[in-house]
Amino acid sequence: MTLTTEGLTKTFGGVRAVSGANVAIKEGRVNGLIGPNGSGKTTFFNLVTGLIRPDSGRVLHQGRDITGWSPHRIAHAGLGRTFQLCRIFPRMSVLDNMLVAVRRTRLRELLAGTRATAEVERARHWLHRMGIDHLETAEARHLSYGQQKLLELAAVFMGDPGLVLLDEPAGGVNPALIDRISALVRDLNAEGRTFLVVEHNMDMVMNMCDHVIVFDRGAPISEGTPQAVQADPRVLEAYLGV
Amino acid sequence: MAAGVAAALAYPWLVPNYYLVYAGVLTVMYAVTATSWNILGGFTGYVSLGHSAFFGLGAYGTGLLVTRAGWPWPLALAVSAVLVTLGAAIVGVAAVRVRGASFVIVSIALVSVMNLLVQGWRSLTGGSSGVQVPAPFPELSRGQTHMVFFYLYLALLALALLTWWFIGRSRFGNGLRAIREDEDKAEMLGVPTAAYKVAAFALSALFVTLAGGLYAVWFRSLDPIFLFSIVLGAYMVLMSLLGGGRHLLGPLLGALIIAPAGEYFLIALGESQIHLTATGVLLVLVVLFMPEGIIPKLVRRPAGASIREETAEQRLLEVRG
Repeated sequence: MTLTTEGLTKTFGGVRAVSGANVAIKEGRVNGLIGPNGSGKTTFFNLVTGLIRPDSGRVLHQGRDITGWSPHRIAHAGLGRTFQLCRIFPRMSVLDNMLVAVRRTRLRELLAGTRATAEVERARHWLHRMGIDHLETAEARHLSYGQQKLLELAAVFMGDPGLVLLDEPAGGVNPALIDRISALVRDLNAEGRTFLVVEHNMDMVMNMCDHVIVFDRGAPISEGTPQAVQADPRVLEAYLGV
Repeated sequence: MAAGVAAALAYPWLVPNYYLVYAGVLTVMYAVTATSWNILGGFTGYVSLGHSAFFGLGAYGTGLLVTRAGWPWPLALAVSAVLVTLGAAIVGVAAVRVRGASFVIVSIALVSVMNLLVQGWRSLTGGSSGVQVPAPFPELSRGQTHMVFFYLYLALLALALLTWWFIGRSRFGNGLRAIREDEDKAEMLGVPTAAYKVAAFALSALFVTLAGGLYAVWFRSLDPIFLFSIVLGAYMVLMSLLGGGRHLLGPLLGALIIAPAGEYFLIALGESQIHLTATGVLLVLVVLFMPEGIIPKLVRRPAGASIREETAEQRLLEVRG
């Protein structure tokens, strides 16, 4: 198991956003995380990546307790994530966006010129894979929303993460790009990276994911193959409120 | 560039009187503080109004080590700079935990606390009557001393500019810029943002401290109300923003405008507070109408068109899948 949580709980002003969640992410798979709005999916991401601290419970990565670690340490341990509303560095060039990621803090590397390191070659490689390498010198804010999503994804891979958390990769992008992102995720998964994807686009989830976890009221209520989950009456109940 | 350096080096020999040399020292001194302020402000977007605290501490540290301990001034200056920078790193750990307006308030608190401390600790600092520092070069006239300090400040300015340039082209600097754009996102990409900010804060304090230390031996009369005032800190902000905080030479350009203008108003309007009001008004105008400063207005990049073409091309690509 790359990532597991035990009794993870977070309360915001009396509302239990995540409530005693026990989750196990399957290694080497594309894991889907679905659930109604407000079921705690994004809070779960924020807890796992260290952006907020849990009230109780533990997060384990490769068997190591990473609860309470700062986000950059968790990133160094091999977790990468994208945000629901695409977050890039708007007033920096595409290439400089790529060179923000730090894999380890060594003074000599940090003081080296941005253009002088082998990182530039890696950056170009990932930009090429996402199909935006021709935009290298553009300021990120001039990119279209779809291109910004691809840039955010590309920048995450500069950290060479073994586990990648994607928060609504299909949100706000056109159908053709959704297919492209799905294909990319499948390819990257085939190369050995594990994914956990929050997504509302059910077609995308069904096409892309091997294993789906369903959240309701801050904890998993069902999991299994996409087909099994779709047939689960508890899932229908959560979504339709019947 | 070369012409600018040559003009700076020749300046004291070209002007007709020592008063203009004095004004030159003041201008270069302000340029050092603004460039140094910009190591934090320009890269990370953290606006400190309290950097005068480091100027004052540099001045008092150097002045007191010379007068009370009898140290030679270069040693006093170096020791003060090291101690104040270390202190800045410690204060920085706490200060950069808060962002935006809260950080501005914390930075103001810093300089206010220092002001009270220095004025209150009379036995050491002489309180509000200040400190009188002996002449650093007794064999030189006042005018010749101005000449010497012009070049000392010029060397310090070169050092501060070099530091900014070096950081700007490094991955560290790239990370600092990412903090300005989206701090949490940068942290999530593995950037140890807290450590980066503390390092920038301390480096930024270093050259301001050195400028303050030189001021102690140059000006020789230390007045806590001027040294630990928000006005001095606001000058650094104004000069950086006016010139352009994202550019190496922005703060220097701002200093070349603000410092002579300040001196001119002081002569034209006398010892009134009107020049302070003018500073405030100017700061508001710059923030409202020219937040990027002058330099971006001068250097207009012809990149706009080509990006639009690429975007269109890419859109086609997206539609085709």
